[in-house]
Amino acid sequence: MVSRRDFFGGAGAVALSAGLVSRVGAASLPEAPQMDKAATRPPLSPPNGRPYNPVVTLNGWTLPWRMNNGVKEFHLVAEPVVRELAPGMKAHLWGYNGQSPGPTIEVVEGDRVRLFVTNKLPEHTSVHWHGQRLPAGMDGVTGLTQPGIKPGKTFVYEFIAKRPGTFMYHPHADEMTQMAMGMMGFWVTHPKDVNAHRVDRDFCFLLNAYDIEPGSATPKTATMTDFNLWTFNSRVFPGIDSMVCGLNDRVRIRVGNLTMTNHPIHLHGHEFVVAGTDGGWTNPASRWPEVTTDIAVGQMRAIEFDATEPGDWAFHCHKSHHTMNAMGHDVPTLIGVDHRGIAEKINKLVPDYMVMGDKGGSMGDMEMPLPENTLPMMTGTGPFGGMEMGGMFTTVKVRKGQARGDYKDPGWYKHPAGTVAYEWQGGQADLPAAQQSPGTAAAAPKPGEKVLKVRKGSGHGSH
Amino acid sequence: MNRSALLLRSTALGAATLVLAGCATFSPDGGFDSVQTLTKERIGKNTRWVKSDADKAGVVAAIAPLLAKPLSVEDAVTVALMNNQGLQASYAELGISEANLVQAGRIRNPVFSFGRLTRGGEIELERSLMLPVMSLLTMPVATRIERRSFEQAQLRAAGEALRLADDTRRTYFSAVAAQEHAVYMEQVKLAAEAAAELARRMAVAGNFSKLDHAREQAFYADVLVQLARARQTSTEQRERLTRLMGLSAAALVQLPNRLPDLPTAPREVQALEAGAMQNRLDVIMARRELSGLASSLGLTKATRFVNLLDISYLRNSFNESPNRESGYEIELQIPLFDWGGARVARAEAMYMQAVQRASETAVNARSEVREAYSAYRTTYDIARHYRDEIVPLKKRISDEQLLRYNGMLISVFELLADSRSQVLSVNASIEAQRDFWMAESALQMAQTGRAAAPAAASKAPSAVAEPAGH
Repeated sequence: MVSRRDFFGGAGAVALSAGLVSRVGAASLPEAPQMDKAATRPPLSPPNGRPYNPVVTLNGWTLPWRMNNGVKEFHLVAEPVVRELAPGMKAHLWGYNGQSPGPTIEVVEGDRVRLFVTNKLPEHTSVHWHGQRLPAGMDGVTGLTQPGIKPGKTFVYEFIAKRPGTFMYHPHADEMTQMAMGMMGFWVTHPKDVNAHRVDRDFCFLLNAYDIEPGSATPKTATMTDFNLWTFNSRVFPGIDSMVCGLNDRVRIRVGNLTMTNHPIHLHGHEFVVAGTDGGWTNPASRWPEVTTDIAVGQMRAIEFDATEPGDWAFHCHKSHHTMNAMGHDVPTLIGVDHRGIAEKINKLVPDYMVMGDKGGSMGDMEMPLPENTLPMMTGTGPFGGMEMGGMFTTVKVRKGQARGDYKDPGWYKHPAGTVAYEWQGGQADLPAAQQSPGTAAAAPKPGEKVLKVRKGSGHGSH
Repeated sequence: MNRSALLLRSTALGAATLVLAGCATFSPDGGFDSVQTLTKERIGKNTRWVKSDADKAGVVAAIAPLLAKPLSVEDAVTVALMNNQGLQASYAELGISEANLVQAGRIRNPVFSFGRLTRGGEIELERSLMLPVMSLLTMPVATRIERRSFEQAQLRAAGEALRLADDTRRTYFSAVAAQEHAVYMEQVKLAAEAAAELARRMAVAGNFSKLDHAREQAFYADVLVQLARARQTSTEQRERLTRLMGLSAAALVQLPNRLPDLPTAPREVQALEAGAMQNRLDVIMARRELSGLASSLGLTKATRFVNLLDISYLRNSFNESPNRESGYEIELQIPLFDWGGARVARAEAMYMQAVQRASETAVNARSEVREAYSAYRTTYDIARHYRDEIVPLKKRISDEQLLRYNGMLISVFELLADSRSQVLSVNASIEAQRDFWMAESALQMAQTGRAAAPAAASKAPSAVAEPAGH
């Protein structure tokens, strides 16, 4: 058996607890490593078993396993956890092995997988292996395919990871509560052929959402749709790590949606293709370019692109209220309302009151005290000031010279001169000389070539 | 029964009274010193009997410095005790009562009558000198009754003074609380006004519907009514206090901005009921009444047959000799048909009635003092609970609300609604504090005078219906 220390040898100081559920009753159980940090862990190169190109879980980690007579054995412990959603806010969630979402499980097509699931929650649970082909009795639907795993009990799931692709796992017992509490994880089945669909960077994360009352820490599990914290892997911006890429890297981002609404995920600066869906890898011939792909509820998408454009590129859900943190939804609009005289009056009653919103929703650089364990609504500071973002937002950082396997944040992009939008000061003289667009010279009419004149339409009638 | 012995006793009684009668003169203080002492022992304050212009001037001079600064409750009581005209009227009762006492202690003037009658040539001169022996005999009884009545008048006057002090204290606390309440209602009005004005401007800017605008407007309109009521109550209480202090204008009273702080701990009163038995004026009065009636009963029993004893000196003159006759005439009732039993029974019944009344007074006094102490403790606990729990909690809620406003989690309207509710809880706290001080005064009264109106903890005002936050 491989020790955990070997797994994380190159990953620096990773705090892992001994994590054995019960030494007496579980002498034969594989260890259940724990994670106490919400930072992105470097990829876990497979120490044994079939080789594969590991993924990087955004603000997450991959679960180590042991090989037991050719069977990959994992041990998931369902338990209450404290997850940092972003610096300054911790949520009381339910998760697996110390974090929510749980660790990513990586296997290779054809692997025989045995998963021990120990329930340390106060109620029964189960694990459904979302999207897998497996025996019906291993599908993890409480009541239908198995009894619930009672608190304190350990169940074993065993099947062959038949189909390569992108998957998820989550309970199929008291789902509404358990998913609202953060019970979920990512699953990647790598292709048997280590070179198939090979990319340079393979990121993955889940979309999830919580309704945590400002000033509190536990999600309201009865919320149906009106969540206030929209998260990538149970993190909100500015707590979401950047996806760091080398220039011209082939990049894959796998996203699974376990919220209760769809998310149009949008990448700046590049087009991508949807290379994988819930059903598997898409036929390369059928892929079409996108800059936004909608990921419906319960779906997985793997998008791929070549990181050809250096810079810090926004990557976010395009539902604008998903890119900010908790905000009151019953707050009236104050834009354009004259506050003269009223603010003074209110100040007499509420001395620390400050007029906000009369010029829009932007809070500018206002730093005001908030309820405890509550993140500012729109936040994050970039090299040019406040980003006014929260929730499902991060960046793809494309850098020349970023070493393969180096996921360290390279800092803010240093823009070449003349490539940043600037304030118009008036006059023509200040404008830099216009750069010829590439190919303009080649496209210029050669001497003697007939030039086609574009004729403008003479009105609607000609359409 | 030995009649002569009875007679002798009665005569001896009369003779003793004759000696006493000499003492029944007007006292230099008109009995007021005793009132002063009774009052001072109980509330530690001097009162004054204004009988002359000089006295009046003295009062004016004494109260002027007290009125020059914000009034304390003690000063208010001091002014009232010196300057309340109703109290002066009850002191005048004292004079009347003392006059009666002195009158009862004096032998009625002898009456000399002279008659001249002619019948033809016959002239009959009739002279008689009637000495009020009867009044001599009745004097002990009368004097004793009048003395008792005088003492009662003193106790009553002291009781009036205590009652006035109590009234003044309670009204003072009411007036200060009402004034504070009005000030806080101004703040509620301010919050409502700000919300209404903001709503108006939001409607103008197109951000608010007529419905939302009208709601804020309606709340403001309601608050104006409440403010008017609060101001009126403040005026009422202030005027009441002015009357109790006997002042000519309410403007003369300067009330402090806030009620005195709660004491750090409530008073633990030992031997509450025993103290009340010793100090309560109504109990003392009842006890005196009883002993008076007891002696009356004894007398009635002793004199059941000599009730109509009449001794008169007769001197008739005739113009024929012997033209003079003189002698005594004593009339004795012969107990043949009426043995005086009814009178004795009546006296006994009256005595028993007084016994029952006195014991009722004692029972009531004990109960009242217990009730007053319970009210005192309860109002103290409630006021302290407001001060230490409710108001700080409301403050914390407001602080938290502000944090939520900062995070744009709630609107300014919710912030304002919350500040209004905080103000109202401060108001309720003031009322609780006022109730405590009133109960404190009532307890003092229950221990010394007669129980005042029950000092029940008033209902805290329920928070004004708030419009839903937006």
